[in-house]
Amino acid sequence: MTDAALQEPWPNLRLQREGVSVGMWMFLVSEVLFFSGLFATYAVYRSFNAEAFRVAGAHTEILYGSINTVLLLTSSLTMTVALRAATARMHEATLVCLALTAAIGLAFLACKGLEYHDDLSKHLFPGENFPLNPPSTAMFWGLYWIMTGIHAIHLSAGIAVVLVVFVLFKRGIIPVQDSTMEGVAIYWHFVDSVWLVLYPLLYLVGRS
Amino acid sequence: MTDGQRQIWQVCKGPAAVWLALLVLFSANVASAYLPLGSGNVAVNLCVAAAMVVILATFLMGLRNSTILLRIIALSGLFWTAVMFTLTFNDYLSRHY
Repeated sequence: MTDAALQEPWPNLRLQREGVSVGMWMFLVSEVLFFSGLFATYAVYRSFNAEAFRVAGAHTEILYGSINTVLLLTSSLTMTVALRAATARMHEATLVCLALTAAIGLAFLACKGLEYHDDLSKHLFPGENFPLNPPSTAMFWGLYWIMTGIHAIHLSAGIAVVLVVFVLFKRGIIPVQDSTMEGVAIYWHFVDSVWLVLYPLLYLVGRS
Repeated sequence: MTDGQRQIWQVCKGPAAVWLALLVLFSANVASAYLPLGSGNVAVNLCVAAAMVVILATFLMGLRNSTILLRIIALSGLFWTAVMFTLTFNDYLSRHY
């Protein structure tokens, strides 16, 4: 079978797609451990400062967090449809879904920016004018900035990759194909998964 | 329905069902956070979040139809995370301040 999508050294497209998946998942395992270090830090601090985390968590902007969760879940839908469309060699549908995914990702970042602005206007950044008590509430907010910041960096990288793939497909530099999309989609869903864990840890604390 | 519309429907219907299920779980998670469950709130919230991640990994990340090798690689991340948490809390929870 001669196919423009087939690259060296793969004998067929099925193995090529599996190779991309294995490589991406191995990378993501290292990412899982990276984020697990942050989650372990959070768990240790929270286990020793449960009340302070409850007080601090009640000050996060749950509306922004919830809107962002819905946005990311929707972006996972459009990304999956893009992958399935690429597998079916549906050129236009793939491009439309990739563009939608990048747009939703950018909407997430815009919403995050508004949330950061609100947080900073309330001085919710550990330091001199930090308004909450007890002092260990600053631990929660320190982790909030680190965790959401690192997540936003990962999402920005995802958006950049989606846009690059969109341009490559659009200009016909590489053919619309599933093995390229497979790697992009798995990474995107991973970033979504990290947020699904971050959301209850940061936004659902101290609500009852 | 034209052939093109039928093809688009075929591509969309599976992911759309998963998306709806995830939205339902997300709504349940938000609602449960306002119930007075004490320390049970965090347990419920994290269990629902874990269920959402499992659904996402299984259906959207394609682990359902993947090879055994891929599933082992994916699970190795959870295995080493469990090791990290076990050793970390083995230390902190056994300290006598």
